[in-house]
Amino acid sequence: MTTDSVSAGDDPRRLLSDVRALAHRVRLDQRVTPVALLVLAAVSLVAIPIDWLFLNADCGRATIESGAPCHIRGLSRGFYWLPALLLAYSGIAVYAVRATRARGLGARVLPYVLAGVALAVLSAVAWVLAFFYLDPPPADPFPAWVMVLDRLIAPAGTIGVALLVLAWLERHVALLAYTLGYLALMLVPPIETFRIPPGLLGFHTFFLLPHLMSGIALLLGGIGFAAARRWRR
Amino acid sequence: MAPVTAEAETPDQPPHPVTGLDDVVHQRVRLGILTIAHEARRVEFGYLRTQLQLTAGNLSQHLGVLETAGLVEVEKGYAGKRGRTWITLTTAGDAALAEEIGRLKQLIARVETTATEDR
Repeated sequence: MTTDSVSAGDDPRRLLSDVRALAHRVRLDQRVTPVALLVLAAVSLVAIPIDWLFLNADCGRATIESGAPCHIRGLSRGFYWLPALLLAYSGIAVYAVRATRARGLGARVLPYVLAGVALAVLSAVAWVLAFFYLDPPPADPFPAWVMVLDRLIAPAGTIGVALLVLAWLERHVALLAYTLGYLALMLVPPIETFRIPPGLLGFHTFFLLPHLMSGIALLLGGIGFAAARRWRR
Repeated sequence: MAPVTAEAETPDQPPHPVTGLDDVVHQRVRLGILTIAHEARRVEFGYLRTQLQLTAGNLSQHLGVLETAGLVEVEKGYAGKRGRTWITLTTAGDAALAEEIGRLKQLIARVETTATEDR
């Protein structure tokens, strides 16, 4: 950039390329991806012992011998996940505002935080409805698409959907690719991902696998994006 | 600023994109200020100075031009004991930037079309 006056005959391609480069620079300086992923990883990993304590899985021998599906009730979704996610998104918003202000910029995360909060509330509402209206559960197993939808509005799924919003806001192609991989991992049931028979780990441990997978994926993502940022500097 | 010269237009032809360029916006530094302010929502004077590699006096002059034209708002405040100046794009600034980028794209398209026809 120079302070010289630019004639209308100046190369428009160069001007447009300068504009794009500056916009890209600002977007890079506004990114808060590693912190968002690390905060959500902490929420997912802390959920494991809490879910383990409050998971009620009725998969006894009588249930299995009668051919009935397991009756699973994870009570922590009601009292842990909603407040934990609200707190996490608020923390990410506060961090983003402070960090970008310190760099001399405005923050861009508000739509991400609002999407995350809305999805967390939707997830809690779906859990409350299922808690009251699916008791006792139907005799036949749910169709596959219902199970995919269920995993999508489960806390780990909502974290992924909200990350899509962050990838769009930050124009972050690597985050988009990461999020699509993360969502694929969350939407496919662990039994199909790892080919683990449910009885091997015990039903309680088996149903906690999604939280473990989500927590580890978010943790690795956070560390990876933080390392990439440090390396770029 | 060099005067803008456009080719003579026939009544049926749309005006050349160059004729619509706004001198206030079509200046490398001011275009940079508007771009950064647009992306950042709100940008601090020091950030602009670093990114555009300008002296404080030079940047102030350009900001004065943009503020007079109603394209940016300048707000002075404090962060602790340190004075800070924040720049925000106005609605008119947003529209002017979008128009300038549109015209630059038209200009590139026109140059490319002319180059293809000349071959």
